[in-house]
Amino acid sequence: MSKSPGAGMYPPVAKLNLAADPRKMRRIIAEDPEWSLTVVPLLSNLCLQCIVRNFEEKPILEELLPRHKDYVLERLSPSLPLQVTANLISDDGYWKRCCKQRWGLCDVSSYGHSWKRMFFERHLENIIELFIPDATDPKTVLGMVPLCRNYVKRLDISQLLPPIKEPQKSEDDDNSDSASDMGMDGPSMDHFDFGILLDKLSHLEEFHVVYRVKGCGMNFEWNLFEFTFRDCESLAKALKSCKTLRVLRIHQSKVDDEKCRQLVNNLLDHPSLRELNLSHNLIGDRGARAIGKLLNRSKLESLTVYDNNIRGPGAQAIAYALAKNSSLLSLNLRLNRLGDEGGQAIAQALLKNRTLKWLHLGGNEMTEPTATVLSQVLVQNNTLRSINLSCNRLGMDGGKVLEEGMCHNSSVVECDIRLTEVGQESDYCISQVVRNNQNQAHTKHNTEENLAQTSEHY
Amino acid sequence: MSQDGNLREDTEEAVPSVDSENPEERIAARRLRIAARSEAKKRQELGDDSHEKKDIKEEARKSQHQVEQSEKRMIKLQSDGTELVTNIQVAADSRESQRRTEVEEAHRLRVEKLENEAKSSLEKFEEITRKWTVAKMKEIPQDLRDSLSSQQQLCALLIEDKNKLIHELQKEMKLSDDRYVKDLKKQGEDVDLMIERMEDQVKFLMGSYRDELDQIENSFEHERKILLTGNRKKWEQYMKERQDKELENVMQRMKRVEEYEVLLQQLRTEDAEEYNMIKIKLDTDVQILEQQLQQMKATYQLNQEKLEYNFQVLKKRDEENTITKSQQKRKITRLQDVVNNLKIKCANQEKQSREENQNLTDDYTRIMQQYKHMQKKMRHFAAIDAKKFEEVWLMNEEEVKALVEKALDTDRLVHEQQLGLAWQRPPLAFMERCGPLQPQRQAQKTAHQAISELLRLGQTSGCSLGKGKYREAGAGPEAGVGPGAESPALAVEVYESGAGLESGSSEVERESEGSGGEHSGTVSVKMVKKLLELLCDEAGFLIESKLLKLLSPLEKDEQSLMKLDSIFTAMGIESEEDVYKLADFFMKYRHTQGEQTQDVSAKWGVASPQAERGEFTSSCSPTSDLIHPNDVLVALRAFTAHHCRPRELAASHQPSMLGLGGREDTEDAAYWEAMGDVIPEAKLKIWGALETALDKYHIVLTERSKFITDTQSLKQQNTELRMLLHQYVNSRVNAELEIPPNLVMQLAPE
Repeated sequence: MSKSPGAGMYPPVAKLNLAADPRKMRRIIAEDPEWSLTVVPLLSNLCLQCIVRNFEEKPILEELLPRHKDYVLERLSPSLPLQVTANLISDDGYWKRCCKQRWGLCDVSSYGHSWKRMFFERHLENIIELFIPDATDPKTVLGMVPLCRNYVKRLDISQLLPPIKEPQKSEDDDNSDSASDMGMDGPSMDHFDFGILLDKLSHLEEFHVVYRVKGCGMNFEWNLFEFTFRDCESLAKALKSCKTLRVLRIHQSKVDDEKCRQLVNNLLDHPSLRELNLSHNLIGDRGARAIGKLLNRSKLESLTVYDNNIRGPGAQAIAYALAKNSSLLSLNLRLNRLGDEGGQAIAQALLKNRTLKWLHLGGNEMTEPTATVLSQVLVQNNTLRSINLSCNRLGMDGGKVLEEGMCHNSSVVECDIRLTEVGQESDYCISQVVRNNQNQAHTKHNTEENLAQTSEHY
Repeated sequence: MSQDGNLREDTEEAVPSVDSENPEERIAARRLRIAARSEAKKRQELGDDSHEKKDIKEEARKSQHQVEQSEKRMIKLQSDGTELVTNIQVAADSRESQRRTEVEEAHRLRVEKLENEAKSSLEKFEEITRKWTVAKMKEIPQDLRDSLSSQQQLCALLIEDKNKLIHELQKEMKLSDDRYVKDLKKQGEDVDLMIERMEDQVKFLMGSYRDELDQIENSFEHERKILLTGNRKKWEQYMKERQDKELENVMQRMKRVEEYEVLLQQLRTEDAEEYNMIKIKLDTDVQILEQQLQQMKATYQLNQEKLEYNFQVLKKRDEENTITKSQQKRKITRLQDVVNNLKIKCANQEKQSREENQNLTDDYTRIMQQYKHMQKKMRHFAAIDAKKFEEVWLMNEEEVKALVEKALDTDRLVHEQQLGLAWQRPPLAFMERCGPLQPQRQAQKTAHQAISELLRLGQTSGCSLGKGKYREAGAGPEAGVGPGAESPALAVEVYESGAGLESGSSEVERESEGSGGEHSGTVSVKMVKKLLELLCDEAGFLIESKLLKLLSPLEKDEQSLMKLDSIFTAMGIESEEDVYKLADFFMKYRHTQGEQTQDVSAKWGVASPQAERGEFTSSCSPTSDLIHPNDVLVALRAFTAHHCRPRELAASHQPSMLGLGGREDTEDAAYWEAMGDVIPEAKLKIWGALETALDKYHIVLTERSKFITDTQSLKQQNTELRMLLHQYVNSRVNAELEIPPNLVMQLAPE
């Protein structure tokens, strides 16, 4: 920090400053790209700073030059009210800062690499998840609609709060038995009504909802996990009104036959629905019948109803629909109670179906008769890619039959027969065939890729 | 990918390039590449063990091979890992399903048990209630107490049963609670295990991925190194070559430099010597030139003086010239004025003359009109005169003919009655004819008719000969009508030259003999036709283009007819005679060309028909082909040159044709004379003698007639007298008489 010989010409005040701030001594400060020798800042910079300061009152952005715009965006505070910023700022950098500030941990890849979308989706989810019916003003949600309708494509609601009970009610609840009985005819336990929201979100494609409460801990009560009829009704109507919806997931929400039927009734002929996930519910045969009806009155490509209570008759209904269907690609019936009756029906349907590629029948109490029909399917059907039969007691004979079927197959690249009590020999043979098929598919895929590349060249 | 690119380059060197300009070539290149790739893949699949064909290509693809193997290995690892992880889930699933079946079973058993219990308890309850009625019936207090106590016992039993059930259920609940907790714990463990395994898996996969990546990188690196070393080697080789070359070049250059230096030295010495020599020479030159300069200076002095004198003289001259110039200028202005005047005059004159010209043209047109008018009038009068003449002629002729008839009649009478001779009517051709004499020229056919006839003839030349004959015969009389007495016969003879000229086709020779109209038509019709066609082809330039256009739709014959017509009008050929003349000329021209020009005109002009015929046959027989097309024009020119002169002469009396003055009256006199000479001189003499004799006869006859009258009168007297006699005889007086007179005289009966 030795003084330069010319430093003596500076007034003493400057000297003091120089001594105080070592940066003033340097002519180049590489770590600060904004630093310049000119002590007086540019007027434009001053103006821009002013704009940044008063952005809330007077948002000026689009009129600026691109360079200045960047400058302003870099300096805007993430805590500005959304009413100002939502439809004005499209720069991802700003929204990234907002997200980081709010949540810290962010994975933008699951939001289509759009920070803005991420911000609004998560914001809206938060609002809905913390919405308490009767207590919270619905305007808090509706107010967000005009701001976020253009950016929200997916809603993943992980909890819905029930209305707060009156203190007297909670006193009554002390007798837990009577409370659970009372819950039905007592005051409404309805959750947030999606009817007011879904029809306004014009870009919504995915909707996941769970009617439960997260992290209730010791305050557990059965009615926190209630999916009432009125909820179901309003949700069904809301879903019907949302024409852009592609993926719907309602799980762990105690959807029983009646509710399932109501939902399906409203989803019939939905213009865009492609994926339906009703896993971890209480759907029985009647609900399955309704789903079977839905299969051929929509464009469903993927149906997931695992961990439900579907038995033989329900599976037969689904199989009947599947036989005539030509759009469904994936079907997951894991952990149901199909039994041989249902399994055979599904397998028979697959003899006719020519579109289904993935099938999961794990944990369905199926035995040898189903295996025989399935082996027939493996011989005749060449669209099926993946089949999962794990946790079914197929037995040695069933394994042998399956092995025979697999020998004539060339399309299946995945076949899960764990815990099915088939013989080791059959297991080995089947895995061998599957590996062969995989290799072939791989080479075919590669050649196709090559062809695609070459065709791109043209 | 660099490997791939390398490969591509390798293939590209030999076969069509992908970067080529030609799109087809590019497509072909790409196809080749795809084929090569798929083939390579196939080979890789099939022949991992068939290492015998480990060529350069295979080696070059080692890295790719590595990549694929790693990929395979990784896929396997991944699937294994997923299986490992999902094993837990599957196990949980199976456990769950098992649990469910158990729960279901338990539920079923429980329900059964409950139902059984309910049934039994209901029975018991019913028993109790029944007993109540029994108890009510009881009157004895002990009994009642007994029954009540038994009732109580029964109720206690029932309650105990119920309690037991409740207890059992509660136990079950507790069990299931425990189980739930256990399950929860188990699931927690499972989840933990799963997470652990997942983490392990992730770690393991990462490690193996890294390994594989390292391996792939190594292989690539290795390949790269090989390539690099190869390229470097090549590079160095090239560098060395280059260095050698450079060295060589430098050596060469040095050598050359030395050579050039030597040369330069040589040149320098040579130049120095030359320079000295030139310098000496130039020095001498300078001296000479200085001398000359001195001389020139002297002459210059002299010349200056001379020039000064000349200058003076010229000055004088100049002055004079200025004076004359001014004079000339004045003169020029004067002359300009004159010229202007003359111009004005000239303009006036022109104007006047134009006016005059206008007047004159007007006059001329007027006069022309008058002239035309006059002509019209004249024609009119001429026609009238002709008509009148004809009428007068006819009248006179009739009269004369009547007279002639009368004379002939008398002659006949004289001959037959007086002389008692057989009378023969003299031949009187003119009697059949009537109307004024017509000039014979009109009887001739025009050229046009002739051509058309010829062409028609040519067309029908294949037909029978008789037909041709007939036509000729038919044409004869037509021609023969006009010329009266002076052309006793305009006969047409038709020959059939059997031994003649051409075998298949008939040939018609025509010969006509007449006073003037004898044409040398001894040329065969066919020949003429051919000639005409030739003419038509060769002299096409004489036809107007407009006409050609008009003719195009017509038939060929008609076309040629029209063309010939126009050609003939252009050449001035009008009559049939001329046509034949032309044909004849052509024949002869061809002939005489060989003999080299005798006097053609004299020949054909003088030659007698016989000679011509002979000549013709002789000329025709050897060569049936005609004049050569190339000679046609020359011949045509010669013909027009010869032909035009007579035509000019003819043209001079053309105007006379217009009026009647051209009518030949020389024949008229003869005609009338002939009329007069119907009775010849000898006959007249006979008639004279006859007259005198008849006169005498007449006298005798008159005498006789007188005698006849006398006798008649005497006869009458006689008769009268007889009458009287008779009267007398027959009178009664007689009867009285003794001798009656009748008896006396024998009266002859009259």
